[in-house]
Amino acid sequence: MSSSHIRVWLSERLPLNATETFLAAKEVPRHRHSFWYYFGGMTLFFFCVQLVTGILLSLYYQPAPEHAYESIRTIVNETPHGWLIRSLHAWSAHLMVAMLFIHMFSVFLMKAYRRPRELMWLSGVALLVLVLGFGFTGYLLPWDTKAYFATLIGTEVPKSVPLLGRWGVSLVKGAESVGEATLTRMYSLHVIVLPLIGLLVVAFHVLLNQFSGVSVPAGTVVKRRPIAFFPDFAYRDFIAWIVGFAVLLALSTLIPRDLGDKADPMASAPPGMKPEWYFLPLYQTLRMIPATVFTIDGELIVNAAVGALIALWVLIPFIDRRSARGLKSPLFTAIGVVIIVYIAGSILAGYFT
Amino acid sequence: MKEDQAGLIARRDVLKVAFGLWGVLCAAPVLGMILQYITPVAAKAGLRQTTLVGQSGDFAQGTVRIVRVNKDPVLLIHTPGGQFRALSARCTHLGCVVQYQETPVPHFGCNCHGSQFDMNGINISGPAPRPLPPYQVILNGSSVYLTRV
Repeated sequence: MSSSHIRVWLSERLPLNATETFLAAKEVPRHRHSFWYYFGGMTLFFFCVQLVTGILLSLYYQPAPEHAYESIRTIVNETPHGWLIRSLHAWSAHLMVAMLFIHMFSVFLMKAYRRPRELMWLSGVALLVLVLGFGFTGYLLPWDTKAYFATLIGTEVPKSVPLLGRWGVSLVKGAESVGEATLTRMYSLHVIVLPLIGLLVVAFHVLLNQFSGVSVPAGTVVKRRPIAFFPDFAYRDFIAWIVGFAVLLALSTLIPRDLGDKADPMASAPPGMKPEWYFLPLYQTLRMIPATVFTIDGELIVNAAVGALIALWVLIPFIDRRSARGLKSPLFTAIGVVIIVYIAGSILAGYFT
Repeated sequence: MKEDQAGLIARRDVLKVAFGLWGVLCAAPVLGMILQYITPVAAKAGLRQTTLVGQSGDFAQGTVRIVRVNKDPVLLIHTPGGQFRALSARCTHLGCVVQYQETPVPHFGCNCHGSQFDMNGINISGPAPRPLPPYQVILNGSSVYLTRV
């Protein structure tokens, strides 16, 4: 059976032509900021790597405190290529978060959130929260010392949120202290709940991109003709993915993910312990803030600041009225730059101090 | 809701609202049950339980040991004067286990965010907002029991 026969067979059963027309309508503008368009696709690529390697790891992983650490050891030491699969999973998580941050801030600085792309921005913020959730819930699973104490600290921080804080934390922890219930809940969130929601939101985000097209930054002069997304830009995206995969392979083989000592809930936290780089801004802020500021609990202040930042981030397309009218918006550019500098500065400070 | 020329609400609209309310009424108990299911049952019985942690001879005078009470780490201090004291080993900042440190003066330090407590558990520096909660030490013969205060 030739490919044309298959096509005819499929066309009788699926709206192939309509789909092709729909996909062919998308074009990618070419201008001096076009480079930043690749990072959304790169984030999606690393998300796919996460799914594949995550499924492979789940074949051997056992979500119970007595077995979790040993099962990871088995994966790393005894399962063929297990060390590589685990390293690919861990490193692609880092790269996914990095690509997501670059994508998000490039979207922010190019004001691509402006009308009519508000829903794309909102779904993007939801994906940011989901990806950080993936990072947090996956962190405990190896059940080593660092994983245990990072989760212990991470689940204490939101407790000071009024009304819902303690209840929300108890839902995630499943018990008063981090233990078996926490591990099974984190596992369930990490491999079922978050991927299901994540896939739906990713599909929504990508579909909106197809509907609304690719945004051109306000004030940018486009002199060259746009290129079709399918297949021209998709080929270029594919090349970027190959480069990304090469970097991922290099990191995974040259710096394989280590496994610390098995978690001991009775032991003290090891000195110099820090969370992953993408949680360092929160960690650094918690370190800097005193226990009480004008009789207000320091953690409450940090939680309020995080809440206010998330609210600001969600509302950006609706409060940046200049961008909505297609004008340059220097105030919001400045806000974005301040946030980038704070994040980069606190990551560096957290890493080197 | 749409009204016809006589100002009456259409039967179809009333039915739509009724179906919507019916849907909410059906969904609410289901959501309630799910919420109850995922909310952990508090281990009330274990909170004030008295736990045997060892014999007094197991803890030399002038030492500090971390013992387990209901899955929680507790600092059992046997002072040079022969007194027993116990404090929760969970830092009141974010719950890390504190560590006994002898220098420059004996104290408890938290490696996570640098909080420090004196030997009575009073927070003396760092972000910890409260002292370490005390435990009651009960000596029954040579047996040492701890219970949460």
